[in-house]
Formats: sequence, structure tokens, C-alpha cells
Amino acid sequence: MANKNVSVWTSIPFWRRSAAWVTGFAVMLLIWLSFDTLGQISMGTDADLKNGVTKRVPGATVINYHIDYKFNAKRGSEVPVIGEKQKFFGRDDYSEEEAGALLHLGKLTSQSKNCMNCHTLLGNGAYFAPDLTKSWLDPAWQNGGPLQGMTGKTTVEEAMAEFLQHPSQYPTHARMMPDLGITADEAKGLVAFLKHMSSIDTNGFPRNFSKTVETFKAGGTHAR
Amino acid sequence: MLIEPMTDVVPSFFAMLNQGPLTLTIFLHTVIILPMFWIYKQEKKRLQEEQ
Repeated sequence: MANKNVSVWTSIPFWRRSAAWVTGFAVMLLIWLSFDTLGQISMGTDADLKNGVTKRVPGATVINYHIDYKFNAKRGSEVPVIGEKQKFFGRDDYSEEEAGALLHLGKLTSQSKNCMNCHTLLGNGAYFAPDLTKSWLDPAWQNGGPLQGMTGKTTVEEAMAEFLQHPSQYPTHARMMPDLGITADEAKGLVAFLKHMSSIDTNGFPRNFSKTVETFKAGGTHAR
Repeated sequence: MLIEPMTDVVPSFFAMLNQGPLTLTIFLHTVIILPMFWIYKQEKKRLQEEQ
């Protein structure tokens, strides 16, 4: 009786139970992953920054610090490195509330001016204009870089803010940025938003950022 | 090594499994497919007893 020839593969209940198991497991897994993601993307605090606790998304007061981007051999990708205090528009003592408000203004401005219509932010948006995920770290905006040079400013944040307020005055690409009527306050918020964004650990996205930096330093360009 | 020490920023179960390119895939396939053998055996037994 037990060795009778039966075809399990043509048995409807077998497939029904298998499908129910796979679907049920996938649903449970996705719910678990959703909660796991919440932990990964939750923003750190000022205390985390002061105590050296690494978070994927650092607290808003990260704008008080110098941000670098270094290849991590263990991770196999580039990771943001939060360094010493660095002045941001002449200050390095923004409170959590002030920094948070600045970032919030920057986020709202980036949405109302529809930056993503041309740029990419954290993987979302368009590739018509440069990716802004790590734009704060772009050497073109640093001391001696051509973008900072053209604005006549001496810091990254002032140069970026000046450009954002009068983008059509400055030669950048063949595809020039239009004047969006960004005010001085909005520009400050946007730069804070971009500085914070550059400190987010994105698992190395965008890929090869440092390689493009090396190309740039060697005199080449990826802008077409 | 299939499972490496934690290198991720925020420790999590999935980060631990996802250290290599295939570890998460192999793990999930294993835990999904193994119970299907059990379902197969149960169904086979049931069909044999029915006849």
C-alpha cells in the first residue's frame, strides 16, 4: 500500500500548499524587512554624533562637522567619514532644532523647486543634471575648484548658495541650470540639506564617485 | 567564508546574512525550499493512502 505509484506533481493540493507556503513566507519576510529598514533609515541624534555612534543617516547637526568620503576595503565601497568640527556659514554650533529646521527648509525647497526633475537625490530623480547625492563632496566646489572660483566665494556653502540663487549667471554645463527664484534663506537650507545628504551612508551610491573625482583632478571631466 | 563578521553600519539579521553576494539568496532559498520537501512527502503519503 505504501509503495503505490502516485503522482505528487500532478496533485493540485500539493501545488496549492506549496504556493501558500511560499506566498506566506514572502509576506512575513517583507513585513520583517520593512521593520528592519525602519531601523536602518532612522535618523541619528546629536548625542550619536558626539559619542561617535555611526548611523546610516546621521543627525541633522552633522552640518557642524567636516564630511569626507573614503573607500572602506571591508565594506567594499566608499563610506562617508564624519570628521572634526567645520564651520557652516560661519558657525559650527547649530543646535539640533536649528539644524533640523534648516534641513527641513532645504527639503521643502528641493521639493517645491522640483530638483528631481533634472537631478538625482539618493537614487531618485533624473540624470539630466549632475547627481546631487554627494555634491557637497565634489572637488569642483572645494577651495581651488572651478565652481567655487566662478562664484568668487571662499567656502563651499557660500559658493553653493550663491550659485543656487543665480544659477543662470554662471557657466556650468552645456545644460545650464535655470533661475528658479531661490531666496538666500532657501539656498542656505538647500546647502544644509545637501551637506547632510552627503553624510548618509548609501552603500557606495553613486558608484565610482571617487573615481570621477580622480579623473577630475587629473584634468578630465565626466560632464558632457 | 560564507558568513563574515558584521561590517554594516547598523547591525541587523539581514546585514549579517548579506555579507557575501550569495549568502542571503542561498539562505532564503534553503528556508523556503526545505519545507516544500516536507509538503511533498506529506502529499505523497496522503495520495498513497487514498488509493
